[in-house]
Order: sequence, then structure tokens, then C-alpha cells
Amino acid sequence: MSGESAESVITVGIHVIVKKQSFSKVYKVSENGTLMLGKNQKVEMHEIIGKPFWSTFEMVPKHGSKNTYSLKLVERTESWDDLKGELSGQDNRFITDDGTSQRLSKEEILQLQESGKSGKEIIGSLIENSTSFVAKTEYSQEKYIKKKERKYFKFLTIYRPTILSLHEVYFRQNHDKIGGLRMDSLAQILSYSDVQADGLHMLYDSGCQGLPAAAMLNRIGENTGGYLINFHPGNVPQIAIVQAMNFPQELKDRHIAVNIYSFLRLHYQGESSVLDNISSKKITDHIKETQNIEESAEKSNGETKNNEMSQMNIEISELETDTRENIVSCCNTEKGTDTLKRKLDESEEPEETIPAKKPKWFLETQRALDLLNNSKARGLTIIAKEHPLNIVNELLPFLGASRPFVIFHTYREPLQETYMELKQKRNVINVKLFSNFLRSYQVLPDRTHPDILTSDTGGYILTGYLVR
Amino acid sequence: MSFNKTKEVIEEGDVVILYLNPNNIYSLEVKAKTFNKKAELVDNVFQTTYGALKVISLVGQKYGSKIELTKGWAHVLQPTPELWTMILPHRTQIIYSPDISLITHLMELKPGSTIIETGTGSGSLSHSLIRVIRPNGHLYTFDFHEQRVSIANTEFDRHGLSDFVTLKKRDVCLDGFGEELKHKIDAVFLDLPHPWLVIKHATVVLKQIGGKLCFFSPCIEQVQRTCAKLICEGFIELNTYECLQREMNVQYRSLPILDFECLKYKHTNENITEKNERRERKQEGKLLTVIHAQSLPGHTGFITIATLPPSCHRCTQK
Ligand SMILES: C[S@@+](CC[C@H](N)C(=O)[O-])C[C@H]1O[C@@H](n2cnc3c(N)ncnc32)[C@H](O)[C@@H]1O
Repeated sequence: MSGESAESVITVGIHVIVKKQSFSKVYKVSENGTLMLGKNQKVEMHEIIGKPFWSTFEMVPKHGSKNTYSLKLVERTESWDDLKGELSGQDNRFITDDGTSQRLSKEEILQLQESGKSGKEIIGSLIENSTSFVAKTEYSQEKYIKKKERKYFKFLTIYRPTILSLHEVYFRQNHDKIGGLRMDSLAQILSYSDVQADGLHMLYDSGCQGLPAAAMLNRIGENTGGYLINFHPGNVPQIAIVQAMNFPQELKDRHIAVNIYSFLRLHYQGESSVLDNISSKKITDHIKETQNIEESAEKSNGETKNNEMSQMNIEISELETDTRENIVSCCNTEKGTDTLKRKLDESEEPEETIPAKKPKWFLETQRALDLLNNSKARGLTIIAKEHPLNIVNELLPFLGASRPFVIFHTYREPLQETYMELKQKRNVINVKLFSNFLRSYQVLPDRTHPDILTSDTGGYILTGYLVR
Repeated sequence: MSFNKTKEVIEEGDVVILYLNPNNIYSLEVKAKTFNKKAELVDNVFQTTYGALKVISLVGQKYGSKIELTKGWAHVLQPTPELWTMILPHRTQIIYSPDISLITHLMELKPGSTIIETGTGSGSLSHSLIRVIRPNGHLYTFDFHEQRVSIANTEFDRHGLSDFVTLKKRDVCLDGFGEELKHKIDAVFLDLPHPWLVIKHATVVLKQIGGKLCFFSPCIEQVQRTCAKLICEGFIELNTYECLQREMNVQYRSLPILDFECLKYKHTNENITEKNERRERKQEGKLLTVIHAQSLPGHTGFITIATLPPSCHRCTQK
């Protein structure tokens, strides 16, 4: 489908996946960009521009500046895959732990590095001279190699981002940031939501870095007729992963991100109520403030620690409730005035307070509502940090009859409650709650077994169909 | 014609899902007459536990509406691949939604993908694959069993999916996928007893810019043999998974709470009755929780995904 020549070349402005052995990172290509690996390795990236995807580069230390590397295009990477195979099943009857775990001295290790030995050769010597290595469980052997890999593996390969590879990056770095959404859960959400090339697909997502939106847009596809209506609780949706997918503008235009409060207010109270609110200066200032915080939160994603992040999130949601309260009180005063006065006000107000040009977010909200008034949605997907019950109750009226919904949550309890409420109060059938167990395997001749490291954070999924 | 677009109203010829309860879900073809066991043309009447349904009476009803039956009611739904997989007529073992989801996701399919599946079997996976690659992609599906091919063909036709799928009767282990598909395919999926015999043929049809190969095998020996072959042919990033979906039954339960406080000091009679009352009140407290199934499928199959790099980056062994 896509062009095989021009498009497979790395260009400035696009996002790429940089892979270093089992570690990978997202990088936005810029003219003279650098990439930080770990805490202190700085890689100058401009070599990759104009090269085809799948190119491999060696990290060459720069003279003069410590821990800085430039890149050199090479034929192929070094494979460490056989390292593990060679180690396990070793006969260790003659190996005794003499207390000094590494027999090589610091100087000797440094010598190895400077003598131009490959990373694999160095790690081989380290293991050979480590007396405690054999005594480790396979689990900690793997961990040991992973740790050394960061330091001694010196090859990078550049790939085109895909949902799977982006997911892997985020899941490894910090699965909290994507709501604990594991690969198999995401895969099932994409099935049960019935997302596909045509129709309107509703998504509520309150903080997975845009992973669900990106995955759904990917399934809606380029040059098709489908739309994604992406509800979110903040002022801007999280879209880091959507951006990293390098979608064409045409598809991004069919991604309609709207604040769920604005959407519902517009639906229930009409245009004037929403526009009146934004003309109140106090609130716009507030919105700006929240936006700033969210932006800074997004920017600092890479660096901020877990708890800092969640602290920010709390701040954001607090500000949001603030804004909402203000808006509500505005509405109240408005309602309080008598009708005559209001009529007078309305005849004057437009020029003064409502901006001539409606803000973009308002037009998007309007567009989402128009689309949903025109035809009901084909599927509803909710991936919430909040309690999903009110959200699903508000969005179900926009879903077509005979159409599916799917709700993901990190915790089971809110889904249990939602299950009961939906069963008792709404016309839904085939409602099911489940969780998944995912296991990956090491497959090697005579040494096949489940992988030692696995993830136990699959979350819970509630699905069903809406009927009349 | 009820798989290819969303519909409001049931028309003659549609395939609809009749949902009575979680354990009684059926598919019906909406037409006036049908053949009975003696191959005679008779009125199309469907017997349910809640009474008989004259199938043609569904015409004009809205999808999602409630249908009155003599002893109860049912809902009519437009089929989705998930519903279809739950109720389709089995001609072979089939792959179910949890595995199908993972397979589709791992193969990185999207609208426009051109893909191969073999064997077609009962078409359970095929329906999901077609949903993803529509409207501008294509599925080529192969099976060496004549009757399975022809039934699947009729089904795709009836479901309005013929434009997106081509069926071929062929032994792919012996004959491969055909010259006409050479370097045209984004992803190949294998569900047959000897996947390792198909790997060579798969490398021929996958695009020069590379692609994915995924296979589903119940036995680990098949996985080992096929993985070894994949590595020989230059595939990389092999990953094998197993995914079990655990359904949970949401229920209210009440737990008795034992009160030991009363043992610790002497009471007047009054006090004791009060305590007892309180204990009983506590017992009424409902706990919303889940019950796990007593048995569940403990194993379906291993799903292995592998990537074939672009031809300039391939490195085959031997
Ligand atoms: C388990 S079934 C596939 C089920 C299918 N994936 C589904 O979900 O409905 C396996 C199918 O592979 C077919 N098959 C086995 N060996 C084959 C071969 N060498 N060439 C073509 N088809 C083959 C069988 O006829 C059978 O229908």
C-alpha cells in the first residue's frame, strides 16, 4: 500500500523507534537532535537522517566529551541472543564461590573496553570471571545481563513506530502511565469495540498517553470513512502516542478530541450556554492555567518520577473541578436574572463578550455532536482512571442499538458496580466481566519454558451490547 | 448482507443473531422458506426454549429490538465477528476471540493490509481478519478440504464479504500460495498441523519490505520445530505467547461476621440481646464480588509471531 521507497527513509519531523538490544525509545527526528540513553549517555542523532528504516548504527565515543556518542552506519548489529543459551545448563560442579564476586579489577575491565573488544566479548569475560553468577537464579542472571547490556551494548537500530512497538516502550518504562493496559488487553479492547474502517467510534480515555486513540485510529485506517470521537476530561487530550504514529493529516482530521464536560453541556444546554461560559474571562484564565500544567506535565513525562506525575494529575483535576464550579455558578446567576433583562442583555452581548471567531475546541465539540446527532456510534470504548459508571451512563445514549461497548479498568471493583448497575437499569445484554492471563515463552531447542519475567497487570474488561 | 455495514432495520436475506440468554444464542437467516431434514421446502420456523419464531416476521424489525415469543422474549442483534465466533457452525476446531484479538494485534493488521490465512477451517478467524483489513485490503484464505472451502465461500457471500476475500482449495504444504501472490503479502497466518512445512512458501509471498508471520499451535513441539525453521529462513524477533481469558461472574454475597467482643466481659441480659441484634444486622451486609468459573479452558494454543525484515536486511542460515 504505502510507497516503498520515499516513505521508508527517515526524515526530519517524524517519530522513530530507537532500539538498543531489548531497550527501546521513541525519538522525534530533528536536524541536530540528541537522544539520552539511561542517565548519562548522550547520543548525537543527525546521522540517521536520510537513511532507510531498519538501519543499524554503532555508537562511537566522541573524543573530548565524556559519555557522548556519535553514530556510524554499520552492516549489522551484534546479537546477544545466544549468550543466554550458552550460559544456562552449564555444568557448574567445579565452580565455587570464593566471596569475591568479580575477579576482574576495574582497571582490567577498562582495558578490555579500550582494547576495542565488542560489548559481547566484554560481558562474556565479566560472566566468566564472576563467581557469583552461576549461583544466581536464572531470573537474576537475566537481570544481570540486562543491566550490563545498557552499558556495553553499543548498537542502535531505527524502526518505524507501530502500535506494538510504542506500546512496548511505554509498558516497559512505566506501565502506570498507560493505565496498566497490557498488550493482550489492548488487543481485546480493539476487538470487542468493533472498531473498523467505517462508522463513528466513541472513546473515553483519561490518561494513557493516547495509546487507545492511536490504536483505534490505526484500525480506522488511512483514506477511509471512519471517525474517532475521543472524549477526555481535561483541556487537552493526551496524544503523545498518537503523534508518534506519524499519521497523515487526513486521518488526524478524523480524530475529534473533545472535553466530555463541554460536549455534554453543549448537548443539554445548547451553544449559547457553552459560549457564554467561555466569554467569562476568569474561566478562560483558569483554563489556560490548567492547560499549562498539563502541557508541562506532558513535556516532563520522560523525567518526572511516578509520584510527581500523579501529584500533577491531582492538581489538574482539582483545577478542573474549580473551573467547573465557576461555570456552574455562572449558569446560576444567569438563570436567576429575569427574562426581560436577559433579552436585553442578549441583544448587546454578542459583539462585546463572545469572540467573533469561535474557538477551535468549540468547533470540534460542535462537530462531534453533529456527527453523533446524524448517526449513532458504532462502538463505545471507555478506558478510565475515574469510576466508569457515570461516564458509561452519559455516553450510552449516543451508541447505536445492537452495538457493543467495552470498558477497561485497572481495578475490578468499579467494573463490578458498573456491571450491576447496567444489568439492573439499562437495556444491555451479553454483559461479561473478565481478566486475562498472558504468558510468554522462551523457545529454544531443549530449553523451552515460560519466560522468567512476566507482567501481572492486565486489568479488567467489561463488555456487552446495547439493545432497545 | 449483515456484516459489511451497520444497519437499522432487518431485511430479507440478513443473517441475524437471536439472543435469548447467555447460553442460548443462535444465528438465523431471514427468509420465508427453508429445507427440513428430508430436504423438503417448508416454512422457516425456529424453535426456541421460549416458543417458536416465524423467522420471516423479523423483516422490518429494528436491530437491537426485543422480540416477543409465546413463553418469553429474545433480542435480535446484527452479527459482529465476536458474536459470530460464539455461535458459528463448527466444521473444525476454531480459534476464539481472545486468541483472535492477540493474533490480529501481533500481525499489526490495519485497513489496506493484504494477508494470507491457512487453513480456513470454519471461518472463525477469517471474519475478524476481514473486519480489520476492509475496505481496501484483501484476505486470501486456503484450505485443502473441498467441502470446508465451499461452505465458507457460501457464508462469506451470504454475509456480504465476498469482495474482501478469495478462497482457494489447495494443500499449501505441497503447493505453496501460488506465483500470483509473490511479494504481495503483508502478513501470513498459519493454523494447520505442520506449520514448519509452509515457512519457505511464506517467505516467497511476503513483501520485499518485509512482513509478519504468525502461527497458532496447540503443541509445544510444533512451536519448536516451526521456530527453528523460521530462524533458518531469516525471521527475527520471534515471540511465543499464551493468553487465557478468565470470565468472572459478578454476584452479591453475604458474609457472616463473628462477634467475639461479648466474650471479653460480663453482660446484663439486655446487653446481650442488643449485641446479637447488631450481629444479625451485620450479616445482612452484602458484598459485591466475583465468582470464578469452576473450570475454564486451561490451554488453547501457543501464538507465535515473527518478523521478516526487508530483503536487504535478511540473513538466512544455510
Ligand atoms: C483448525 S482448522 C482452522 C480453523 C480456523 N482457524 C478457524 O478459526 O475457523 C485447520 C484447517 O486447516 C486445514 N489444513 C490442514 N492441513 C492443510 C494443508 N496442508 N493445506 C491446506 N489446508 C490444510 C484443515 O482442512 C482445517 O480445515
